[in-house]
Amino acid sequence: MTSEIIYKYLSNEASEQEVQLLFEWIDASEENKKHFITLKKTWALTALSEDLSKKSTPVIAIQPKKKSIQYLKYAAVFLVLCGLVKVAFNFNQKAKSSKEIILELANGRSEYITKDNQTKLVNDKGDLIAKKFSNQIIYFGKVQDQEVVYNTLKVPYGKKFKLTLSDGTVVSLNSGTTLKYPEQFGINGKRNVYLTGEAFFEVAKDKQHPFIVNANQVDIEVLGTKFNVSAYPENPSVNGTLVEGSIEMYEAENKLNAVLLQPNQMATWNNNSKKITTKEVDPGFYSAWTKGELAFKDTPFSTIAKIIQRTYDVEIINENAVLARQNFTGTIKISESSVENILELLKRDTPFNYSVKGNTITITNLR
Amino acid sequence: MNNNSSFELHLFESFKEGDETAFTYFYDKYFRRITAFSIQFIYDKDEAENLAQEALLYLWQNKETVESLNGIQSFLYTYAKSKCLNMIRHNKVKDKFKSEVLNQKERELDIEILNSVQFDTLELTELERLIQESISDLPPKTREVFIKKRFENKKNAEIAEEMQVTLKAVEAHMTKALKILKTKLSDYLFLIFILICNN
Repeated sequence: MTSEIIYKYLSNEASEQEVQLLFEWIDASEENKKHFITLKKTWALTALSEDLSKKSTPVIAIQPKKKSIQYLKYAAVFLVLCGLVKVAFNFNQKAKSSKEIILELANGRSEYITKDNQTKLVNDKGDLIAKKFSNQIIYFGKVQDQEVVYNTLKVPYGKKFKLTLSDGTVVSLNSGTTLKYPEQFGINGKRNVYLTGEAFFEVAKDKQHPFIVNANQVDIEVLGTKFNVSAYPENPSVNGTLVEGSIEMYEAENKLNAVLLQPNQMATWNNNSKKITTKEVDPGFYSAWTKGELAFKDTPFSTIAKIIQRTYDVEIINENAVLARQNFTGTIKISESSVENILELLKRDTPFNYSVKGNTITITNLR
Repeated sequence: MNNNSSFELHLFESFKEGDETAFTYFYDKYFRRITAFSIQFIYDKDEAENLAQEALLYLWQNKETVESLNGIQSFLYTYAKSKCLNMIRHNKVKDKFKSEVLNQKERELDIEILNSVQFDTLELTELERLIQESISDLPPKTREVFIKKRFENKKNAEIAEEMQVTLKAVEAHMTKALKILKTKLSDYLFLIFILICNN
Protein backbone atom coordinates (compact mmCIF):
# COMPACT_ATOMS: atom_id res chain seq x y z
CA MET A 1 0.00 0.00 0.00
CA THR A 2 2.64 2.50 1.08
CA SER A 3 5.03 1.35 -1.62
CA GLU A 4 2.44 2.14 -4.19
CA ILE A 5 1.90 5.61 -2.83
CA ILE A 6 5.64 6.24 -2.70
CA TYR A 7 5.94 5.15 -6.28
CA LYS A 8 3.06 7.39 -7.29
CA TYR A 9 4.62 10.23 -5.38
CA LEU A 10 7.97 9.74 -7.09
CA SER A 11 6.44 9.72 -10.52
CA ASN A 12 4.41 12.78 -9.64
CA GLU A 13 1.12 10.97 -9.88
CA ALA A 14 -0.02 11.09 -6.28
CA SER A 15 -2.94 13.19 -5.17
CA GLU A 16 -2.58 15.76 -2.42
CA GLN A 17 -4.46 13.43 -0.11
CA GLU A 18 -2.09 10.60 -0.91
CA VAL A 19 0.90 12.83 -0.30
CA GLN A 20 -0.63 13.83 3.01
CA LEU A 21 -0.97 10.16 3.92
CA LEU A 22 2.56 9.46 2.79
CA PHE A 23 4.02 12.29 4.84
CA GLU A 24 2.08 11.17 7.89
CA TRP A 25 3.47 7.70 7.39
CA ILE A 26 7.00 9.12 7.09
CA ASP A 27 6.50 11.02 10.33
CA ALA A 28 5.32 7.92 12.11
CA SER A 29 8.78 6.43 12.58
CA GLU A 30 12.47 6.91 11.86
CA GLU A 31 12.40 3.59 10.08
CA ASN A 32 9.75 4.79 7.65
CA LYS A 33 11.60 7.98 7.04
CA LYS A 34 14.82 6.16 6.26
CA HIS A 35 12.95 3.87 3.93
CA PHE A 36 11.49 6.81 2.05
CA ILE A 37 14.75 8.70 1.85
CA THR A 38 16.52 5.67 0.41
CA LEU A 39 13.82 5.23 -2.18
CA LYS A 40 13.80 8.82 -3.30
CA LYS A 41 17.57 8.83 -3.41
CA THR A 42 17.57 5.72 -5.56
CA TRP A 43 14.92 7.22 -7.78
CA ALA A 44 16.81 10.48 -8.27
CA LEU A 45 20.09 8.75 -9.00
CA THR A 46 18.66 6.24 -11.45
CA ALA A 47 17.02 9.02 -13.36
CA LEU A 48 18.54 9.49 -16.75
CA SER A 49 15.70 10.93 -18.58
CA GLU A 50 14.70 14.21 -20.03
CA ASP A 51 11.20 15.38 -20.73
CA LEU A 52 10.18 14.25 -17.34
CA SER A 53 7.72 16.93 -16.61
CA LYS A 54 6.35 17.02 -20.10
CA LYS A 55 5.37 13.42 -20.16
CA SER A 56 4.54 12.78 -16.57
CA THR A 57 2.08 15.57 -16.00
CA PRO A 58 -0.76 13.28 -15.22
CA VAL A 59 -3.93 15.20 -15.64
CA ILE A 60 -3.68 18.64 -17.05
CA ALA A 61 -0.94 20.18 -19.08
CA ILE A 62 -2.11 23.25 -20.80
CA GLN A 63 0.53 25.13 -22.70
CA PRO A 64 -0.26 28.54 -24.01
CA LYS A 65 0.27 28.91 -27.69
CA LYS A 66 2.92 31.53 -27.91
CA LYS A 67 4.32 32.11 -24.50
CA SER A 68 6.58 29.66 -22.83
CA ILE A 69 5.51 29.43 -19.26
CA GLN A 70 7.54 27.33 -16.96
CA TYR A 71 5.45 26.99 -13.91
CA LEU A 72 2.48 25.59 -15.75
CA LYS A 73 4.16 22.26 -16.00
CA TYR A 74 4.18 21.66 -12.36
CA ALA A 75 1.06 23.60 -11.83
CA ALA A 76 -0.43 20.64 -13.55
CA VAL A 77 0.55 18.39 -10.73
CA PHE A 78 -0.82 20.89 -8.34
CA LEU A 79 -4.11 20.91 -10.14
CA VAL A 80 -4.50 17.19 -10.09
CA LEU A 81 -4.05 17.36 -6.45
CA CYS A 82 -6.67 19.92 -5.79
CA GLY A 83 -8.92 18.20 -8.27
CA LEU A 84 -9.31 15.38 -5.83
CA VAL A 85 -10.14 17.60 -2.96
CA LYS A 86 -13.78 18.30 -3.44
CA VAL A 87 -14.14 21.91 -4.27
CA ALA A 88 -17.03 24.03 -3.23
CA PHE A 89 -18.92 23.82 -6.50
CA ASN A 90 -20.01 20.50 -7.70
CA PHE A 91 -21.62 21.29 -10.97
CA ASN A 92 -22.23 17.71 -11.90
CA GLN A 93 -24.30 16.92 -8.91
CA LYS A 94 -26.53 19.86 -9.50
CA ALA A 95 -27.04 18.72 -13.02
CA LYS A 96 -28.13 15.27 -11.98
CA SER A 97 -31.30 16.37 -10.32
CA SER A 98 -32.52 18.40 -13.27
CA LYS A 99 -31.20 16.66 -16.34
CA GLU A 100 -31.27 13.01 -17.19
CA ILE A 101 -30.54 10.93 -20.23
CA ILE A 102 -33.81 10.41 -22.06
CA LEU A 103 -34.74 7.51 -24.29
CA GLU A 104 -37.65 8.08 -26.62
CA LEU A 105 -39.22 4.86 -27.80
CA ALA A 106 -40.89 4.13 -31.10
CA ASN A 107 -44.35 4.28 -29.57
CA GLY A 108 -43.73 7.80 -28.35
CA ARG A 109 -43.07 6.84 -24.76
CA SER A 110 -40.08 8.47 -23.03
CA GLU A 111 -37.96 6.92 -20.36
CA TYR A 112 -35.30 8.33 -18.11
CA ILE A 113 -32.07 6.42 -17.89
CA THR A 114 -31.16 6.61 -14.24
CA LYS A 115 -28.75 4.87 -11.98
CA ASP A 116 -28.94 1.19 -11.22
CA ASN A 117 -32.05 0.33 -13.11
CA GLN A 118 -30.98 -2.54 -15.26
CA THR A 119 -34.12 -3.29 -17.19
CA LYS A 120 -35.19 -5.08 -20.29
CA LEU A 121 -36.68 -3.30 -23.22
CA VAL A 122 -39.47 -5.12 -25.02
CA ASN A 123 -41.30 -4.02 -28.13
CA ASP A 124 -45.08 -3.92 -28.60
CA LYS A 125 -45.08 -7.58 -29.53
CA GLY A 126 -43.37 -8.42 -26.30
CA ASP A 127 -40.03 -9.43 -27.90
CA LEU A 128 -36.92 -8.61 -25.97
CA ILE A 129 -35.02 -6.02 -27.99
CA ALA A 130 -32.51 -4.48 -25.60
CA LYS A 131 -30.97 -4.49 -22.17
CA LYS A 132 -30.72 -1.21 -20.43
CA PHE A 133 -28.01 -0.32 -17.93
CA SER A 134 -27.33 2.94 -16.15
CA ASN A 135 -24.59 3.94 -18.57
CA GLN A 136 -25.39 1.96 -21.67
CA ILE A 137 -28.05 0.21 -23.69
CA ILE A 138 -27.45 -2.89 -25.74
CA TYR A 139 -29.85 -3.71 -28.57
CA PHE A 140 -30.14 -6.94 -30.47
CA GLY A 141 -32.09 -8.60 -33.27
CA LYS A 142 -33.14 -7.73 -36.79
CA VAL A 143 -36.52 -7.06 -38.32
CA GLN A 144 -38.16 -6.88 -41.73
CA ASP A 145 -37.37 -3.57 -43.40
CA GLN A 146 -40.92 -2.30 -43.25
CA GLU A 147 -40.94 -2.86 -39.53
CA VAL A 148 -37.95 -0.67 -38.75
CA VAL A 149 -38.86 1.78 -36.01
CA TYR A 150 -36.66 4.40 -34.41
CA ASN A 151 -35.61 5.19 -30.87
CA THR A 152 -34.03 8.47 -29.89
CA LEU A 153 -31.50 8.94 -27.16
CA LYS A 154 -30.83 12.36 -25.72
CA VAL A 155 -27.73 12.93 -23.63
CA PRO A 156 -27.82 16.23 -21.73
CA TYR A 157 -24.85 18.45 -20.91
CA GLY A 158 -22.68 16.94 -18.23
CA LYS A 159 -23.41 13.32 -19.22
CA LYS A 160 -22.10 10.71 -21.60
CA PHE A 161 -23.58 7.44 -22.75
CA LYS A 162 -22.82 4.30 -24.69
CA LEU A 163 -25.06 2.39 -27.06
CA THR A 164 -24.67 -0.95 -28.70
CA LEU A 165 -26.97 -0.99 -31.70
CA SER A 166 -28.68 -4.16 -32.86
CA ASP A 167 -26.00 -4.80 -35.51
CA GLY A 168 -23.25 -4.72 -32.89
CA THR A 169 -22.11 -1.20 -33.72
CA VAL A 170 -20.92 0.61 -30.62
CA VAL A 171 -21.66 4.31 -30.34
CA SER A 172 -20.23 6.54 -27.62
CA LEU A 173 -22.30 9.68 -27.19
CA ASN A 174 -20.74 12.87 -25.91
CA SER A 175 -22.49 15.46 -23.74
CA GLY A 176 -25.29 17.40 -25.41
CA THR A 177 -25.90 14.82 -28.11
CA THR A 178 -29.01 13.32 -29.68
CA LEU A 179 -28.93 10.14 -31.72
CA LYS A 180 -31.89 8.63 -33.55
CA TYR A 181 -31.38 5.01 -34.55
CA PRO A 182 -33.42 1.95 -35.50
CA GLU A 183 -34.58 -0.06 -32.56
CA GLN A 184 -33.60 -3.02 -34.69
CA PHE A 185 -31.96 -2.70 -38.08
CA GLY A 186 -33.78 -3.99 -41.13
CA ILE A 187 -32.71 -7.15 -42.87
CA ASN A 188 -32.02 -5.56 -46.25
CA GLY A 189 -31.73 -1.79 -46.20
CA LYS A 190 -28.96 0.55 -45.26
CA ARG A 191 -28.23 1.23 -41.65
CA ASN A 192 -29.25 4.85 -41.07
CA VAL A 193 -28.73 6.83 -37.88
CA TYR A 194 -29.27 10.55 -37.27
CA LEU A 195 -26.85 12.58 -35.20
CA THR A 196 -26.84 15.98 -33.56
CA GLY A 197 -23.84 16.56 -31.33
CA GLU A 198 -20.80 14.33 -31.12
CA ALA A 199 -20.38 10.59 -31.25
CA PHE A 200 -17.66 8.03 -31.76
CA PHE A 201 -18.70 5.08 -33.90
CA GLU A 202 -17.23 1.63 -34.03
CA VAL A 203 -19.29 0.25 -36.85
CA ALA A 204 -19.78 -3.50 -37.08
CA LYS A 205 -18.58 -4.78 -40.45
CA ASP A 206 -21.39 -5.61 -42.83
CA LYS A 207 -20.67 -5.00 -46.49
CA GLN A 208 -24.22 -5.71 -47.53
CA HIS A 209 -25.62 -2.94 -45.35
CA PRO A 210 -23.75 0.35 -45.50
CA PHE A 211 -23.92 2.33 -42.27
CA ILE A 212 -24.88 5.97 -42.73
CA VAL A 213 -24.58 8.74 -40.18
CA ASN A 214 -26.89 11.58 -41.14
CA ALA A 215 -25.51 14.73 -39.57
CA ASN A 216 -26.70 18.23 -40.33
CA GLN A 217 -26.56 18.57 -44.12
CA VAL A 218 -24.11 15.77 -44.75
CA ASP A 219 -24.17 12.01 -44.65
CA ILE A 220 -21.22 9.86 -43.73
CA GLU A 221 -21.32 6.44 -45.26
CA VAL A 222 -19.23 3.54 -44.06
CA LEU A 223 -18.92 -0.20 -44.24
CA GLY A 224 -17.13 -1.09 -41.05
CA THR A 225 -14.79 1.25 -39.31
CA LYS A 226 -14.00 3.51 -36.37
CA PHE A 227 -14.57 7.22 -36.62
CA ASN A 228 -15.69 10.29 -34.74
CA VAL A 229 -18.40 12.69 -35.88
CA SER A 230 -18.86 16.10 -34.35
CA ALA A 231 -21.99 17.92 -35.45
CA TYR A 232 -23.07 20.28 -32.71
CA PRO A 233 -25.87 22.58 -33.77
CA GLU A 234 -24.03 25.67 -32.51
CA ASN A 235 -21.14 24.97 -34.86
CA PRO A 236 -21.45 25.86 -38.55
CA SER A 237 -19.63 22.69 -39.51
CA VAL A 238 -19.56 18.92 -39.25
CA ASN A 239 -16.29 17.11 -38.61
CA GLY A 240 -15.72 13.46 -39.42
CA THR A 241 -12.43 11.99 -38.21
CA LEU A 242 -11.41 8.53 -39.33
CA VAL A 243 -9.45 6.19 -37.10
CA GLU A 244 -9.68 2.95 -39.03
CA GLY A 245 -11.19 1.69 -42.28
CA SER A 246 -12.70 4.12 -44.72
CA ILE A 247 -15.63 6.52 -44.76
CA GLU A 248 -17.23 8.77 -47.30
CA MET A 249 -18.74 12.12 -46.43
CA TYR A 250 -21.19 13.66 -48.87
CA GLU A 251 -23.75 16.42 -48.96
CA ALA A 252 -27.18 14.93 -48.30
CA GLU A 253 -28.74 16.99 -51.09
CA ASN A 254 -25.95 16.42 -53.57
CA LYS A 255 -24.22 13.09 -53.36
CA LEU A 256 -21.63 14.13 -55.93
CA ASN A 257 -20.24 16.62 -53.44
CA ALA A 258 -18.26 13.95 -51.64
CA VAL A 259 -14.88 13.03 -50.23
CA LEU A 260 -13.44 9.67 -49.36
CA LEU A 261 -11.37 9.64 -46.19
CA GLN A 262 -8.25 7.66 -45.36
CA PRO A 263 -7.41 6.82 -41.75
CA ASN A 264 -5.90 9.77 -39.85
CA GLN A 265 -7.81 12.24 -41.96
CA MET A 266 -10.58 14.58 -40.98
CA ALA A 267 -13.28 15.84 -43.29
CA THR A 268 -14.98 19.12 -42.47
CA TRP A 269 -18.30 20.16 -43.92
CA ASN A 270 -19.00 23.87 -43.84
CA ASN A 271 -22.66 24.97 -43.73
CA ASN A 272 -21.95 28.31 -45.32
CA SER A 273 -19.68 27.38 -48.18
CA LYS A 274 -21.29 23.95 -48.64
CA LYS A 275 -17.81 22.59 -49.18
CA ILE A 276 -16.06 19.61 -47.70
CA THR A 277 -12.35 19.91 -46.95
CA THR A 278 -9.95 17.31 -45.63
CA LYS A 279 -6.76 17.41 -43.62
CA GLU A 280 -4.37 15.03 -41.88
CA VAL A 281 -4.97 14.81 -38.14
CA ASP A 282 -4.15 12.74 -35.11
CA PRO A 283 -7.46 10.93 -34.66
CA GLY A 284 -6.67 10.13 -31.04
CA PHE A 285 -7.00 13.82 -30.37
CA TYR A 286 -10.55 13.91 -31.72
CA SER A 287 -11.67 10.81 -29.87
CA ALA A 288 -9.98 11.72 -26.57
CA TRP A 289 -13.41 12.46 -25.09
CA THR A 290 -14.37 8.78 -25.35
CA LYS A 291 -11.57 8.10 -22.88
CA GLY A 292 -12.83 10.78 -20.53
CA GLU A 293 -10.37 13.42 -21.67
CA LEU A 294 -10.67 16.86 -23.15
CA ALA A 295 -7.90 17.54 -25.63
CA PHE A 296 -6.98 20.94 -26.98
CA LYS A 297 -4.41 21.87 -29.59
CA ASP A 298 -4.06 25.53 -30.32
CA THR A 299 -7.73 25.65 -29.47
CA PRO A 300 -9.29 29.10 -29.08
CA PHE A 301 -10.79 29.85 -25.71
CA SER A 302 -14.24 30.27 -27.25
CA THR A 303 -14.18 26.62 -28.33
CA ILE A 304 -12.81 25.49 -24.99
CA ALA A 305 -15.60 27.37 -23.24
CA LYS A 306 -18.21 25.56 -25.35
CA ILE A 307 -16.66 22.21 -24.57
CA ILE A 308 -16.53 22.99 -20.86
CA GLN A 309 -20.17 24.06 -20.96
CA ARG A 310 -21.22 20.77 -22.48
CA THR A 311 -18.98 18.59 -20.40
CA TYR A 312 -19.74 20.10 -17.03
CA ASP A 313 -23.18 21.48 -17.77
CA VAL A 314 -22.35 25.03 -16.83
CA GLU A 315 -22.77 28.32 -18.58
CA ILE A 316 -19.72 30.45 -19.25
CA ILE A 317 -19.98 34.14 -19.95
CA ASN A 318 -16.66 35.59 -21.03
CA GLU A 319 -16.17 39.33 -20.81
CA ASN A 320 -12.39 39.17 -21.03
CA ALA A 321 -11.21 40.09 -24.51
CA VAL A 322 -7.62 38.95 -24.02
CA LEU A 323 -8.72 35.50 -22.96
CA ALA A 324 -11.12 35.28 -25.88
CA ARG A 325 -8.17 35.65 -28.25
CA GLN A 326 -5.92 33.18 -26.47
CA ASN A 327 -5.30 29.64 -27.73
CA PHE A 328 -4.46 26.70 -25.53
CA THR A 329 -2.96 23.27 -25.91
CA GLY A 330 -3.33 20.43 -23.44
CA THR A 331 -5.27 17.49 -22.13
CA ILE A 332 -7.63 17.35 -19.18
CA LYS A 333 -8.99 14.27 -17.45
CA ILE A 334 -12.65 15.06 -16.94
CA SER A 335 -13.26 12.85 -13.94
CA GLU A 336 -10.34 14.33 -12.03
CA SER A 337 -10.84 17.98 -12.80
CA SER A 338 -13.55 20.43 -11.92
CA VAL A 339 -14.42 23.53 -13.91
CA GLU A 340 -12.63 25.51 -11.25
CA ASN A 341 -9.43 23.51 -11.73
CA ILE A 342 -9.47 24.28 -15.41
CA LEU A 343 -10.17 27.96 -14.94
CA GLU A 344 -7.46 28.23 -12.30
CA LEU A 345 -5.03 26.72 -14.76
CA LEU A 346 -6.00 28.98 -17.63
CA LYS A 347 -5.73 31.89 -15.25
CA ARG A 348 -2.07 31.21 -14.74
CA ASP A 349 -1.44 31.89 -18.37
CA THR A 350 -3.89 34.67 -19.00
CA PRO A 351 -4.89 36.32 -15.74
CA PHE A 352 -8.62 36.95 -15.24
CA ASN A 353 -11.24 37.07 -12.53
CA TYR A 354 -14.29 34.89 -12.44
CA SER A 355 -17.35 34.53 -10.32
CA VAL A 356 -19.67 31.59 -9.94
CA LYS A 357 -23.37 31.95 -9.43
CA GLY A 358 -25.37 28.75 -9.60
CA ASN A 359 -24.35 27.13 -12.83
CA THR A 360 -23.17 30.34 -14.43
CA ILE A 361 -19.55 31.39 -14.51
CA THR A 362 -18.74 34.95 -15.46
CA ILE A 363 -15.20 35.71 -16.54
CA THR A 364 -14.06 39.31 -16.26
CA ASN A 365 -10.90 41.36 -16.58
CA LEU A 366 -8.57 41.73 -13.66
CA ARG A 367 -9.50 44.73 -11.67
CA MET B 1 32.75 -1.16 -19.95
CA ASN B 2 36.53 -1.35 -20.16
CA ASN B 3 36.52 -0.13 -23.70
CA ASN B 4 34.29 2.70 -22.68
CA SER B 5 36.57 3.56 -19.83
CA SER B 6 39.68 3.80 -21.94
CA PHE B 7 37.74 5.72 -24.54
CA GLU B 8 36.49 8.08 -21.86
CA LEU B 9 39.91 8.35 -20.28
CA HIS B 10 41.23 9.49 -23.59
CA LEU B 11 38.44 12.02 -23.91
CA PHE B 12 39.07 13.18 -20.39
CA GLU B 13 42.67 14.01 -21.29
CA SER B 14 41.48 16.02 -24.29
CA PHE B 15 38.86 17.69 -22.13
CA LYS B 16 41.52 18.77 -19.67
CA GLU B 17 43.48 20.26 -22.55
CA GLY B 18 40.45 22.30 -23.56
CA ASP B 19 39.13 20.19 -26.44
CA GLU B 20 35.52 21.25 -27.02
CA THR B 21 34.53 18.03 -28.78
CA ALA B 22 35.52 16.10 -25.72
CA PHE B 23 33.54 18.48 -23.58
CA THR B 24 30.53 18.01 -25.84
CA TYR B 25 30.72 14.29 -25.22
CA PHE B 26 30.53 14.77 -21.47
CA TYR B 27 27.87 17.40 -21.89
CA ASP B 28 25.66 15.00 -23.79
CA LYS B 29 26.33 12.24 -21.35
CA TYR B 30 25.49 14.21 -18.22
CA PHE B 31 23.01 16.86 -19.24
CA ARG B 32 20.03 14.53 -18.99
CA ARG B 33 21.22 12.92 -15.79
CA ILE B 34 21.74 16.15 -13.97
CA THR B 35 18.43 17.47 -15.25
CA ALA B 36 16.63 14.35 -14.13
CA PHE B 37 18.30 14.43 -10.75
CA SER B 38 17.51 18.07 -10.11
CA ILE B 39 13.92 17.78 -11.24
CA GLN B 40 13.29 15.42 -8.34
CA PHE B 41 13.97 18.31 -5.99
CA ILE B 42 12.99 21.47 -7.75
CA TYR B 43 10.03 20.05 -9.70
CA ASP B 44 10.44 22.20 -12.76
CA LYS B 45 11.88 20.91 -16.00
CA ASP B 46 13.03 24.25 -17.34
CA GLU B 47 14.67 25.18 -14.07
CA ALA B 48 16.31 21.77 -13.91
CA GLU B 49 17.63 22.13 -17.44
CA ASN B 50 19.01 25.57 -16.63
CA LEU B 51 20.66 24.11 -13.62
CA ALA B 52 22.24 21.27 -15.60
CA GLN B 53 23.50 23.71 -18.17
CA GLU B 54 25.01 25.90 -15.50
CA ALA B 55 26.66 22.90 -13.88
CA LEU B 56 28.25 21.87 -17.16
CA LEU B 57 29.39 25.38 -17.93
CA TYR B 58 30.89 25.61 -14.49
CA LEU B 59 32.64 22.32 -15.12
CA TRP B 60 34.13 23.65 -18.34
CA GLN B 61 35.32 26.81 -16.62
CA ASN B 62 36.91 24.82 -13.82
CA LYS B 63 38.26 21.89 -15.75
CA GLU B 64 41.70 22.23 -14.22
CA THR B 65 40.28 21.41 -10.77
CA VAL B 66 38.87 18.08 -11.95
CA GLU B 67 41.51 15.49 -11.37
CA SER B 68 40.06 12.31 -12.73
CA LEU B 69 37.47 11.00 -15.13
CA ASN B 70 35.23 10.01 -12.25
CA GLY B 71 35.66 13.48 -10.87
CA ILE B 72 33.43 14.83 -13.61
CA GLN B 73 30.20 13.35 -12.39
CA SER B 74 31.12 13.97 -8.82
CA PHE B 75 31.72 17.62 -9.71
CA LEU B 76 28.41 17.90 -11.56
CA TYR B 77 26.26 16.15 -8.98
CA THR B 78 27.85 18.11 -6.17
CA TYR B 79 27.09 21.32 -8.00
CA ALA B 80 23.49 20.22 -8.64
CA LYS B 81 23.05 19.17 -5.05
CA SER B 82 24.19 22.47 -3.59
CA LYS B 83 22.22 24.42 -6.16
CA CYS B 84 19.04 22.46 -5.34
CA LEU B 85 19.64 22.98 -1.63
CA ASN B 86 20.06 26.69 -2.21
CA MET B 87 16.91 26.93 -4.23
CA ILE B 88 14.86 25.09 -1.64
CA ARG B 89 16.28 27.15 1.21
CA HIS B 90 15.64 30.40 -0.57
CA ASN B 91 12.11 29.43 -1.48
CA LYS B 92 12.82 29.40 -5.16
CA VAL B 93 10.97 26.12 -5.58
CA LYS B 94 7.37 26.59 -6.58
CA ASP B 95 4.66 25.24 -4.29
CA LYS B 96 3.31 21.90 -5.44
CA PHE B 97 0.49 21.52 -2.99
CA LYS B 98 -2.39 23.57 -1.80
CA SER B 99 -1.46 22.89 1.75
CA GLU B 100 1.47 24.95 2.96
CA VAL B 101 2.17 22.27 5.56
CA LEU B 102 2.75 19.72 2.80
CA ASN B 103 4.96 22.08 0.82
CA GLN B 104 7.01 22.75 3.92
CA LYS B 105 7.23 19.08 4.75
CA GLU B 106 8.35 18.20 1.26
CA ARG B 107 11.08 20.82 1.36
CA GLU B 108 12.34 19.51 4.67
CA LEU B 109 12.45 15.97 3.34
CA ASP B 110 14.18 17.03 0.16
CA ILE B 111 16.82 18.92 2.12
CA GLU B 112 17.41 15.87 4.24
CA ILE B 113 17.68 13.62 1.21
CA LEU B 114 20.07 15.93 -0.59
CA ASN B 115 22.23 16.22 2.49
CA SER B 116 22.38 12.47 2.84
CA VAL B 117 23.78 11.97 -0.65
CA GLN B 118 27.55 12.20 -0.69
CA PHE B 119 28.82 12.58 -4.19
CA ASP B 120 32.11 11.12 -3.40
CA THR B 121 33.90 10.04 -6.56
CA LEU B 122 34.07 6.46 -5.52
CA GLU B 123 30.50 6.32 -4.40
CA LEU B 124 29.11 7.50 -7.71
CA THR B 125 31.11 5.15 -9.87
CA GLU B 126 30.38 2.26 -7.61
CA LEU B 127 26.76 3.28 -7.37
CA GLU B 128 26.40 3.48 -11.12
CA ARG B 129 27.79 -0.01 -11.46
CA LEU B 130 25.50 -1.24 -8.75
CA ILE B 131 22.47 0.38 -10.28
CA GLN B 132 23.25 -1.18 -13.64
CA GLU B 133 23.72 -4.52 -11.99
CA SER B 134 20.60 -4.29 -9.90
CA ILE B 135 18.54 -3.36 -12.89
CA SER B 136 19.83 -6.24 -14.93
CA ASP B 137 19.07 -8.52 -11.99
CA LEU B 138 15.41 -7.59 -11.96
CA PRO B 139 12.94 -10.22 -13.19
CA PRO B 140 12.57 -9.76 -16.99
CA LYS B 141 9.05 -8.32 -17.02
CA THR B 142 9.76 -6.05 -14.10
CA ARG B 143 12.96 -4.88 -15.74
CA GLU B 144 11.17 -4.13 -18.97
CA VAL B 145 8.57 -2.05 -17.17
CA PHE B 146 11.21 -0.28 -15.12
CA ILE B 147 13.33 0.58 -18.15
CA LYS B 148 10.38 1.82 -20.13
CA LYS B 149 9.28 3.97 -17.24
CA ARG B 150 12.57 5.34 -16.02
CA PHE B 151 14.70 5.55 -19.11
CA GLU B 152 12.21 5.84 -21.91
CA ASN B 153 9.83 8.03 -19.97
CA LYS B 154 6.72 6.21 -20.97
CA LYS B 155 3.40 6.65 -19.27
CA ASN B 156 1.94 3.73 -17.37
CA ALA B 157 -0.86 3.49 -19.88
CA GLU B 158 1.58 3.34 -22.79
CA ILE B 159 3.60 0.64 -21.10
CA ALA B 160 0.46 -1.34 -20.34
CA GLU B 161 -0.57 -1.18 -23.95
CA GLU B 162 2.84 -2.07 -25.35
CA MET B 163 3.22 -5.01 -23.05
CA GLN B 164 -0.40 -6.07 -23.24
CA VAL B 165 -0.87 -6.00 -19.50
CA THR B 166 -3.17 -4.09 -17.19
CA LEU B 167 -2.36 -0.73 -15.64
CA LYS B 168 -2.42 -2.39 -12.24
CA ALA B 169 0.24 -4.85 -13.41
CA VAL B 170 2.49 -2.02 -14.55
CA GLU B 171 2.13 -0.34 -11.18
CA ALA B 172 2.83 -3.60 -9.42
CA HIS B 173 6.00 -4.14 -11.47
CA MET B 174 7.23 -0.64 -10.66
CA THR B 175 6.56 -1.13 -6.98
CA LYS B 176 8.42 -4.41 -7.10
CA ALA B 177 11.37 -2.92 -9.00
CA LEU B 178 11.69 -0.12 -6.50
CA LYS B 179 11.52 -2.52 -3.62
CA ILE B 180 14.31 -4.67 -5.03
CA LEU B 181 16.48 -1.70 -5.93
CA LYS B 182 15.90 -0.15 -2.57
CA THR B 183 17.01 -3.29 -0.76
CA LYS B 184 20.13 -3.64 -2.86
CA LEU B 185 21.07 -0.02 -2.88
CA SER B 186 20.16 0.81 0.68
CA ASP B 187 22.72 -1.63 2.02
CA TYR B 188 25.18 0.00 -0.20
CA LEU B 189 24.28 3.56 0.65
CA PHE B 190 24.46 2.66 4.28
CA LEU B 191 27.89 1.14 3.83
CA ILE B 192 29.17 4.23 2.08
CA PHE B 193 27.82 6.27 4.92
CA ILE B 194 29.86 4.28 7.39
CA LEU B 195 32.94 4.51 5.20
CA ILE B 196 32.69 8.24 4.97
CA CYS B 197 32.12 8.71 8.67
CA ASN B 198 35.05 6.50 9.57
CA ASN B 199 37.36 8.33 7.27
